[in-house]
Amino acid sequence: MAQLRRDPIGGRWVIVNTEHPMLPDDFIKEEHKFKPMSCPFCPGNEHMTPPEVDVIRDENTMPNSPGWHIRAVPNKFPALIIEGDLDRRGFGIYDMSHGVGAHEVIAQSPQHDKEITDLEDGEVMNMLSMYCRRSIDLANDKRFKYIMIFKNYGPSAGASLEHPHTQLIALPMIPKNVLEELKGACSYFHYKDRCIFCDILRQEINDKDRIIVENKYFVALCPYVSRFPFEVWIMPKKHNGYFCHATHEELPEMAGILKNVLARVKAVLSNPAYNYIIHTTPVNTPDMEEGYHWHIEIMPKLTRIAGFEWGTGFYMVSTPPEIAARYLREAKI
Amino acid sequence: MPELRKDPITGRWVIIATERAKRPDQFTGHDESPHEGKCPFCEGSEYDTPHEVYAVRTAHTQPNTAGWQVRVVPSLKPMLSIEGALDRHGKGIFDVVNGVGAHEVIIETPQHVANMADLPVEQINNVINVYMHRFTDLEKDERFKYLLVFKNYGWAAGGGRIKHARSQLIATPVNPKRVKEELAGAKKYFDYHERCIFCDLIKQEVDFKERVVAEIDGFVAIVPFASRFPFEIWILPKDHNCDFSTITAGHQKELAEMLKLVLLKLKKAANDPPYNYIIHTAPFRRPKLGYWKTIHEDFHWHIEIIPRLTRVAGFEWGTGFYICPLPPESAAKFLREVQV
Repeated sequence: MAQLRRDPIGGRWVIVNTEHPMLPDDFIKEEHKFKPMSCPFCPGNEHMTPPEVDVIRDENTMPNSPGWHIRAVPNKFPALIIEGDLDRRGFGIYDMSHGVGAHEVIAQSPQHDKEITDLEDGEVMNMLSMYCRRSIDLANDKRFKYIMIFKNYGPSAGASLEHPHTQLIALPMIPKNVLEELKGACSYFHYKDRCIFCDILRQEINDKDRIIVENKYFVALCPYVSRFPFEVWIMPKKHNGYFCHATHEELPEMAGILKNVLARVKAVLSNPAYNYIIHTTPVNTPDMEEGYHWHIEIMPKLTRIAGFEWGTGFYMVSTPPEIAARYLREAKI
Repeated sequence: MPELRKDPITGRWVIIATERAKRPDQFTGHDESPHEGKCPFCEGSEYDTPHEVYAVRTAHTQPNTAGWQVRVVPSLKPMLSIEGALDRHGKGIFDVVNGVGAHEVIIETPQHVANMADLPVEQINNVINVYMHRFTDLEKDERFKYLLVFKNYGWAAGGGRIKHARSQLIATPVNPKRVKEELAGAKKYFDYHERCIFCDLIKQEVDFKERVVAEIDGFVAIVPFASRFPFEIWILPKDHNCDFSTITAGHQKELAEMLKLVLLKLKKAANDPPYNYIIHTAPFRRPKLGYWKTIHEDFHWHIEIIPRLTRVAGFEWGTGFYICPLPPESAAKFLREVQV
């Protein structure tokens, strides 16, 4: 019999198919297709993007020219616009505001065909420290309340360009999903004087069933209440609310485990499309500083979201996390 | 400048791109390979499905034989199982319930027609009648708290490779999160204003006109102010009623007409897109502990149709924010003006 499981943080229920679990080969793989075009993220094409906002580049090279290693630029087609005021207002029973925010793209490497799994550990670390730098910089803008860093890999995960890149969106309000997660974590923290994520980590490390890999500072696991088959969370062992406060000792270990986990996902599921999202504490929101624990959520795109999921917020997970974790743990990479 | 909009019911924010607005023909098609072999949902293939739970059929025909108009069978791949008692327990800090529930498929026509939009109004009326029957029947099962009726049409909407019109229903032993959020949002509004938020919304939309797709006596179809998806459409009954399963025969017929009209308009305006529709209705109302006594006042049933023209990516998953590339007012105009 399948199980219903409830996320203790957001209150979300999921159905886990423990009876007839789907295995990696059961998923039909979608073809990866991108439109042939000249790539705006390749060296030499710097003029195709807006001017860079931050970069790691060789000495004696000019901004917006080749010679860079990691390059952050504003999104050419931003979902939100950096200038202006929010101007919150009502419209009859509705509430609205201007779409103020930042929308940036981080080109992870000058090489068009090198995914995170193909990069050197040092390059992955540069990428992560660029994430931190952009977060810290944008948090200085008091209009922004939340900085979301996410990656869409593969067309079915929403990527429209092939060149490996990550996106960053700074939002003027705390989004609903984040707020729910925070509220759940904070109410646990206030009741127990302990962090719910620290408690989950303790229980998971003890159980072992859902652990994929761990190093000195990080653990990768398939969460007990996965929404998607082969969902993976990477969590810092030490309690810390803000991703951008990761220490110099933690960064290399973070790079190592991220690359390691993505290589496992790639090997087990034959290079699936995926999203990853960095979950962190809101900025410029003094009453939200306690109780949260930053982490990365990786969601391979193996299933389609249909009417039931939209209608209920229930997710159907066709591979139990225990089985997914075993596959990922045992993967040869 | 794009706009952020907040759904007054759930509190969800949406980004509306007002300048980079897309036209219907700018949304590209989808990739799907057709099913090969015999269709198990066509008349004459009754033994290719599990035994029927219910059917609207011609007098003197036997169950699981030809002669039906609408047929309900258990899902071939059920995610929940109908047998067994509910078992709630804890596992450390986690809560677990076993997966008891009903998962049925409603075959909407004996003919091999893919889109409900192409069925005659009388046939759609039969389908609605069957939905209502299943509600009344499954409500008797005290293990279930909520019944969701929905449709996945087309590959990108989660539909199967067999192109035969059908809907599904799932009865769950817990009230799902999104349902609770919607109910809680509506209740909060009612507590303060002593009016139903949906009734207020209908009044504002009918006055404003710009987001109305179609209007008949008992129903109105609108593109919601804070649409999550391009061409999202809501069909709302004008008379206040929280429970879909209690609508009158007259309303039922009007609903069939409206559903046909809206689905045809969508098919034409957006080039036969994949879509989901979902009936949002009150949970089973049983007078026991935790029963919400004001649901009949503060909730208002409706149907949400969500075309699947855009992909949900990392940003949407992470935030619950949706980026809607077509302003609802333009979508409503396209839908209003398209000839069907």
